[in-house]
Amino acid sequence: MTDNRNYLGHRNGIPAGRRGECGDYLLYADRLYKTYPDGEVRALNGVSLGVHQGEYVAITGPSGCGKSTLLNMLGVLDVPDNGEIYFRGQPLTTRRDLDNFRARQIGFVFQSFFLIPTLTARENVQVPMFEGPRLSARERAKKADDLLALVGMSQRAHHRPMKLSVGERQRVAIARALANDPVLLLADEPTGNLDSENADKVLDLFTALQKDRNLALIVVTHSDEVAERADRVVKMRDGRVVADSGADIIPTSDSAATS
Amino acid sequence: MYFVSFILKNLARRPIRTVLTVLGLAVAVGSMIALLAVSYNVERSVEAAFDSRRVDLVVMQKGKPMGWDSEFSEYFVRETAKMPEVERVSEGIVGNANIERDGVLVDLGILLVQGWKPDNFGYEDLQILEGRRLLPGDRRKVMIGSTLANNLKELSKIGPIGHRVGDTLTFVGDPKNPYEIVGIFKSPVIFEDGGAIVPFEDGQELHSKRGKVTGFSVRVRKSAPDSQAEVETVKRKIEALRDPDDPYVVVVADTPDKYVQSVSQLELIRAVSWLVSVIALVVSVISLLNTMTMSVLERTQEIGILRAVGWPRRRVVRMILGEAACLAAAAALVGTVIAFLGMQTLTKMPKVNGFIEPDLSPWVMARGFALTVMVGVVGGAYPAYRAARLLPTEAIRHD
Ligand SMILES: Nc1ncnc2c1ncn2[C@@H]1O[C@H](COP(=O)(O)OP(=O)(O)OP(=O)(O)O)[C@@H](O)[C@H]1O
Ligand SMILES: [Mg+2]
Repeated sequence: MTDNRNYLGHRNGIPAGRRGECGDYLLYADRLYKTYPDGEVRALNGVSLGVHQGEYVAITGPSGCGKSTLLNMLGVLDVPDNGEIYFRGQPLTTRRDLDNFRARQIGFVFQSFFLIPTLTARENVQVPMFEGPRLSARERAKKADDLLALVGMSQRAHHRPMKLSVGERQRVAIARALANDPVLLLADEPTGNLDSENADKVLDLFTALQKDRNLALIVVTHSDEVAERADRVVKMRDGRVVADSGADIIPTSDSAATS
Repeated sequence: MYFVSFILKNLARRPIRTVLTVLGLAVAVGSMIALLAVSYNVERSVEAAFDSRRVDLVVMQKGKPMGWDSEFSEYFVRETAKMPEVERVSEGIVGNANIERDGVLVDLGILLVQGWKPDNFGYEDLQILEGRRLLPGDRRKVMIGSTLANNLKELSKIGPIGHRVGDTLTFVGDPKNPYEIVGIFKSPVIFEDGGAIVPFEDGQELHSKRGKVTGFSVRVRKSAPDSQAEVETVKRKIEALRDPDDPYVVVVADTPDKYVQSVSQLELIRAVSWLVSVIALVVSVISLLNTMTMSVLERTQEIGILRAVGWPRRRVVRMILGEAACLAAAAALVGTVIAFLGMQTLTKMPKVNGFIEPDLSPWVMARGFALTVMVGVVGGAYPAYRAARLLPTEAIRHD
């Protein structure tokens, strides 16, 4: 799917020296800027970041430094004022079907789970399946059961979120994020509301997903423990990346091979 | 899970609000349906009667749309009957009369008392339930409609009043001449059922119209069953007639459907039902707007999540419109029941039951349903727009 003409032809594209790199990345954010309409500060001030398929990246930094803003941009929930995001070498921000892209390629996990209170665990997992690949109601239910089994929640499939512990809720939320088999999982403080035991379960799950499904993970976190589990830690401050433990890593060919 | 199940679960989340909204809409929609039905039924019954009585033209005095204030000389009837294209004519006297009991007026609202000749077209589809019909030579005899019979029967529980065959009725202004009830009938025309029929000459006296008629119906000899040419000819000839004794009286001869459109009482019912329908629809839309807007506002975060998991705006719009449409559909169902019960209640009220048949025709129900679904779409449109405009990042920011 790597199509070099596409990004080479892009006017605001990637600097010449990094062109080869971009095509290898699953997701590449190129100098993103963002100022909120009512905000005085620049939430993002020229952030560039590339993530490979199957890579596990932790983003850390002080409160208000722009982590969530960056994560939302990477998940195309929001568009930058300036800069471009490339998915497998293709620019994203000008695409018209961003919802569809998000439905198929990206899974979101949040600190507060955001499950729908009236739906059971099994039904919550099916919510994203109305978009993405076409499935019958039976297939949706079957897939939800499989995903709940994957996160170890089969026993509680018919419970509503209120009846679940917070750790269980987060695992249901992860199952929901996987509903359409995304290639990228974005998590904003996924263990922020969990005790260490439940946090461990979630982190184990992340590691397993990375290994078994070759899923790329970008996890925003304050916790060192979470950061330790990642392949790579990106530190942010005042809307910039100030340190990146994986910046020097030469992209391996496996991402190109899988794409 | 089906998309529809999700919509229903959203509605089930606030059961009391959902039920109250549905009830509110149902009352509005129900009154609308009931009035549509009343107006439709009266008109249909008149049209159907003209149809079954094979009436081609209805002749009334020009400029007297109330029907019973029309009056003109029997001359017109005689001259029309002589026309070679005319098969038969059937004249009648119609007026409002009141019944009295021991010199005291019994208030039955509008009570139509018609005077019929023995060969009136109306006898052809009149069903005699008890006793007999009026016969040639009858004087001071009356047949009462089944609705009037029931109303009188109810009144007889309070004090003696004639309501059975063999009893007598006294009309206000004519106390020396009590009428003997000879029969109880059922007519296809709703308001005939709420009234009474007396011999033609008695009717003229009762309504102080000696030598006059209120109007008459004409059957035209036609070359083909639905040929209108002869009808047109007869219409022109009747309208050209002038009474030598009173040349200023002019009559109009209309086809039955045109006549029904012009009767002002029916027009009034139509106008009222239209007005109430509009009010009911506006109230429904506002109520639905209120409910759905609140529902969207309190689900801001949830809608943000739906967007985050990949729902496009149009699916959010479909969800909200779907919820509004479900509320409206439920309201249409409950409203139909309310309409039916409401009409049943009206038929127990003597002052109006002469005009009401508690029957919901499929046409009326379909129309009520269509209007209600329209309410759903209109009332859901703005909340859906609001929901679609929510920014997912805003919605999920307050983590
Ligand atoms: N919708 C918004 N409107 C205005 N300003 C915003 C909005 N969202 C974020 N900001 C501002 O942008 C900056 C970056 O916010 P962001 O939420 O990305 O920080 P963060 O690194 O995720 O912080 P935390 O660790 O507290 O979650 C902050 O100054 C914040 O106040
Ligand atoms: Mg944040």
